[in-house]
Amino acid sequence: MNKLYLWGIIIIAVMLGATYLSVGGSKGGLNGDIVNMLAVAGAVSLVIITVFVVVKYVRQMQVDSASGELLKDNWDGIGEYKNEVPTGWAVMFLLTMVWGMWYFVIGYPVNAYSQIGEYNEDVAVHNSKFETKYKDITGEKLVEMGESVFLAECKVCHGISADGIDGAAANLNKRIDEKSVKHVIEKGSNNKLLGMEMPMPDRNGLLNANTGALITDAEIETVSKFVANKMSGAGADIFAGTCAACHGEDGKGLDSVAPSIATYTPTLVSNVLTHGKKGVIGVMPKFDRLNDKQKEAVGAYITSLNK
Amino acid sequence: MVNRPLEYDYTIAKMFMLTTIVLGIVGMLIGVILAFQLAFPGVNTIFGQGLAEYTNFSRLRPLHTDAVIFGFTLSGVFATWYYVGQRVLKVSMAESALLMFLGKLHFWLYLVVVVAVVVSLFAGVTTSKEYAEFEWPIDIGVVVVWVLFGMSIFGLIGIRREKSLYISVWYYIATFLGIAMLYLFNNMEIPTMLGTSAAGESGIGAWYHSVSMYSGTNDALVQWWYGHNAVAFGFTVPIVAMIYYFLPKESGQAIYSYKLSLLSFWGLMFVYLWAGGHHLLYSTVPDWMQTMGSIFSVILILPSWGSAINMLLTMKGEWQQVAASPLIKFMILASTFYMFSTLEGPIQAIKSVNAIAHFTDWIVGHVHDGVLGWVGFMIMAALFHMAPRVFKREIYSKSLMVAQFWIQTLGVVLYFTSMWIAGITQGMMWRAHDEFGNLAYSFIDTVTVLHPYYVIRGVGGLLYLVGFLMFAYNIYKTMSARPVEDHELQNASPMGA
Amino acid sequence: MFHWLEKHPFFFAVGVFVVIAFAGLVEILPNFAQASRPVIGTAPYSTLELAGRHVYIKNSCNACHSQLVRPFKSETDRYGHYSLSGEYAYDRPFLWGSKRTGPDLWRVGNYRTTDWHENHMKNPASVVPGSVMPAYKWMFSNKADINTAFAEQLTVAQYFSVPYNQSVPMKDGTTKVVKMGGSVAEANAIALEEAKIIAADMKDQDVKDTVARGEIPEIVALIAYLNSLK
Ligand code: HEC
Ligand code: HEC
Ligand code: HEC
Ligand code: HEM
Ligand code: HEM
Ligand SMILES: [Ca+2]
Ligand SMILES: [Ca+2]
Ligand SMILES: [Cu+2]
Repeated sequence: MNKLYLWGIIIIAVMLGATYLSVGGSKGGLNGDIVNMLAVAGAVSLVIITVFVVVKYVRQMQVDSASGELLKDNWDGIGEYKNEVPTGWAVMFLLTMVWGMWYFVIGYPVNAYSQIGEYNEDVAVHNSKFETKYKDITGEKLVEMGESVFLAECKVCHGISADGIDGAAANLNKRIDEKSVKHVIEKGSNNKLLGMEMPMPDRNGLLNANTGALITDAEIETVSKFVANKMSGAGADIFAGTCAACHGEDGKGLDSVAPSIATYTPTLVSNVLTHGKKGVIGVMPKFDRLNDKQKEAVGAYITSLNK
Repeated sequence: MVNRPLEYDYTIAKMFMLTTIVLGIVGMLIGVILAFQLAFPGVNTIFGQGLAEYTNFSRLRPLHTDAVIFGFTLSGVFATWYYVGQRVLKVSMAESALLMFLGKLHFWLYLVVVVAVVVSLFAGVTTSKEYAEFEWPIDIGVVVVWVLFGMSIFGLIGIRREKSLYISVWYYIATFLGIAMLYLFNNMEIPTMLGTSAAGESGIGAWYHSVSMYSGTNDALVQWWYGHNAVAFGFTVPIVAMIYYFLPKESGQAIYSYKLSLLSFWGLMFVYLWAGGHHLLYSTVPDWMQTMGSIFSVILILPSWGSAINMLLTMKGEWQQVAASPLIKFMILASTFYMFSTLEGPIQAIKSVNAIAHFTDWIVGHVHDGVLGWVGFMIMAALFHMAPRVFKREIYSKSLMVAQFWIQTLGVVLYFTSMWIAGITQGMMWRAHDEFGNLAYSFIDTVTVLHPYYVIRGVGGLLYLVGFLMFAYNIYKTMSARPVEDHELQNASPMGA
Repeated sequence: MFHWLEKHPFFFAVGVFVVIAFAGLVEILPNFAQASRPVIGTAPYSTLELAGRHVYIKNSCNACHSQLVRPFKSETDRYGHYSLSGEYAYDRPFLWGSKRTGPDLWRVGNYRTTDWHENHMKNPASVVPGSVMPAYKWMFSNKADINTAFAEQLTVAQYFSVPYNQSVPMKDGTTKVVKMGGSVAEANAIALEEAKIIAADMKDQDVKDTVARGEIPEIVALIAYLNSLK
């Protein structure tokens, strides 16, 4: 076999191999996605066509010889043959032009294509598939789904292990840290954690029933440690006297009164995602673009981190 | 016909050869730095934290593109014009004191603009438009330089002896007209010092700052009408001008087909300008305009391939020359890469393919198989051919040239294959949804996966730069190599071992 | 005919020009008036935001970041609603970009916040391990160029009737007035007010001090701009 063909085949094989690797390497893979398939087909045909055509002409360099009638003109010693244009080229040129005219004048208008229309269809198909398939998932599966949302959307702020990256955002492995509790007691808070306007009073509204006086600096110090320490250690009495009325004995919150501060709950997370949150650590943006199922799932995931 | 050879005057060609080489080194060196900054972000501060403001990726990137386009490539275009123009029009620059003067002015003003560009881009003075970053004071300089180039072209044509214009001259004329039209319209901007406050103050803020005449979608439309065709009239048209002269000249072969030249030229002129829409697929530009961009991109394959095929067929039966001469190898491979990128482009211009390719490294791969394999190879080949003639000495070393050829070919292959894989991988990962219908990857997952490919690209780029330095050295040594007689310079360039 | 043209350079050049100019007209003209009409909810940039936009351009963030959300499910999931033409009515120049080495930023104001940007711009890799984005530390000390931003506001208001100091309709039915100073001093004061709000959410003490002194570091302007992208 001619060396040239061999080279052509080697180049094509190597490029196909590279394509295979790149598709495999992308994890997502072709995924039945028509766009992915077209892109790969395009890449493959690019190599095959170029190699094929170039080999054809290089063969002519090897075996053919120049011929034809020369033009009278001559520029700095360069002549020109009067040869006809290569037929294949001319035919392709004509065909593409005819196709172009046809497509623009007839094909395209008849097709009535619109990119937004295409988008709406895609989304509808995607949503219906998603809704029927995952409407009812619960338990482990839901947590798994939540983890996938978390890794795609939240880890840039909260970190891969949800530890808040050295205090850059909230550490979601435990309900709340001391600094935040202290801040909330001192300044109050109004982040719609219950899904509605329902502020937590600041220290001027926090009466310790045991002492009958407003909460003191020392008490704030102690109770903050208590809450941050998963509701254990010294300070249970202060909590019972000051906070339990709203947050419940165990700190797990009371419906429509105050949120759980002992554990995360899917509802709490969902509310944070719907309304955002501003605290001493920083600002958490709201995530409108997640749907309810996704919010529920990521809530389940975060709740599961605290087991 | 007078048989005594004309004494052509290469003064200005030589000056532009120098800037081609120097700006080529600068531009490609920055390219290599950029490549390694993406592979290893620590390289952003390699010149020290204090200088990082000026040497980080984003500040250097426009410097790379402008240095290689307006520095390296354009210098190459000018250098070859001041060489080829005289020869195919059969008239010497020395015959007109005015043209000599304009030519020198052209060079020196060009140099002034280059310096202004470098300073302004380092300082972060840019309008952000790709390949049109310059603020209005520099735009004015560019226009003056361009007008001088035009005067040189038409001046020389005006006093020509050869009545009929050779193919290369068609392409040089088109380069001049195309860039002139595009540049003017895309740079319509209003200096903000013209704004007057209610209190009557004016001349507020930076004097060189301006604001675009067009906004949003319109601005995008004009910019990519420009951007696409700046590629056409900067990276295609004048490079085709070069190959139409240097390949037949070096090989001593006649052009395969005049008709093919003719159809390719007028086809290219007509079709190219419609294709700009392929940079705006799935944007807010109307559907019909995007469709038009796609259609014309596909049609564009043929006039592009026409020139390349014409060149390959010109070498029909001349395999021994291809095998023996590294100079001809450069040009044959350049034609091949030209075909490759002008097929790759149209494929990427198909809407569904662009859905993946756009915004990814696959585009960067396409860019560089064009610019490294086609533009870079062709300009170096042109200078290699010119050097013995302008210095009247043989090329210093043929073996160096052969080594350079293989090193750079390997470099280009590493560059575009790695970017090809990187781009398709990233494009697919962006689109992927997991079994729950959520996005499968966060953005950063699609960044870290590219690391190996960025390293390979860096290595490929480095090889290309090494090859370019070998080229520069070879040309430099040529100036003191063995002198040659005029008659040895008819076709194949003389080369030392 | 072509042979004749090749002997008559003037007509040759005219021929080439006609052939190449024709497409430009068809491609560009028809869309011009329509595309520049703003959609509801699009307001001009404030002085500080505009100064931030200049910082963005000065550092060529557009080399890595796009500002164009294409109509694909995968993009609207990641970035929010796909882009509409009228949203860009006040973008001079447009900043769609052509490469996404980093993510799209057209709606980044919806899902990133001041304090996050502060950490991120100072050292991207510390917030997002594996990031290849450069650290922009000097933005914390360089001063934003408010005067040039003001000059640009004046220019676009004068030449392109951009509605500063006029009410523009918002999506929720309310209206909004973007203020433009009547003098350089007033413009700087307006920008400073806005800067104080940003600086309050930031942690860097030098930045806070600088703003308290009445000067505006580039980072503050940049964050104001990023927050405005919604
Ligand atoms: C009057 C009712 C009330 C009392 C008493 C009360 N809280 Fe709250 N607390 C709330 C409400 C309501 C919220 C939710 C506020 C919001 O949406 O931002 C809340 C929120 C919190 C949060 C913030 C949770 C988070 O994720 O940011 C903490 C911590 C907290 N309370 C701790 C305490 C402690 C400790 C005490 C006692 C010292 C206490 N609360 C007393 C009503 C109360
Ligand atoms: C731009 C950065 C950012 C992103 C993105 C982000 N968060 Fe947050 N998040 C924060 C910050 C900062 C806080 C802390 C606010 C405070 O309390 O000071 C926070 C707090 C929270 C809280 C409340 C913690 C508490 O104890 O009250 C929850 C729950 C949460 N984030 C979940 C998520 C989820 C789920 C996602 C992704 C869908 C997400 N976050 C994305 C920055 C972010
Ligand atoms: C070398 C490329 C590069 C340059 C230049 C660059 N970025 Fe980035 N940017 C990235 C990458 C990669 C990411 C994703 C990883 C991360 O978040 O750091 C990113 C992320 C971001 C994000 C977070 C967006 C999101 O959705 O998470 C913002 C905001 C941002 N960049 C702003 C800027 C600004 C402003 C500049 C210019 C001053 C800039 N970037 C320059 C590469 C770059
Ligand atoms: C038939 C000819 C060609 C067509 C149809 C074509 C098409 C394209 C397409 C579709 C893109 C990508 C746009 C995007 O999605 O961002 C592109 C980008 C590009 N092409 Fe080509 N291409 C052609 C030839 C060439 C050649 C020969 C070169 C250079 C030698 C070249 C240089 C570039 C450059 C520099 C870009 C990047 C533009 C940017 O900054 O985004 N192209 N081309
Ligand atoms: C030594 C060889 C080179 C290397 C290593 C190199 C590297 C790079 C890198 C890293 C980028 C940025 C890509 C990104 O943003 O992801 C780039 C962009 C670019 N380079 Fe080069 N480059 C080289 C030579 C050249 C030459 C010789 C030319 C032109 C003649 C060129 C033209 C361009 C263009 C037009 C772009 C912009 C592409 C786009 O925006 O899509 N490069 N190059
Ligand atoms: Ca300009
Ligand atoms: Ca680009
Ligand atoms: Cu293009």
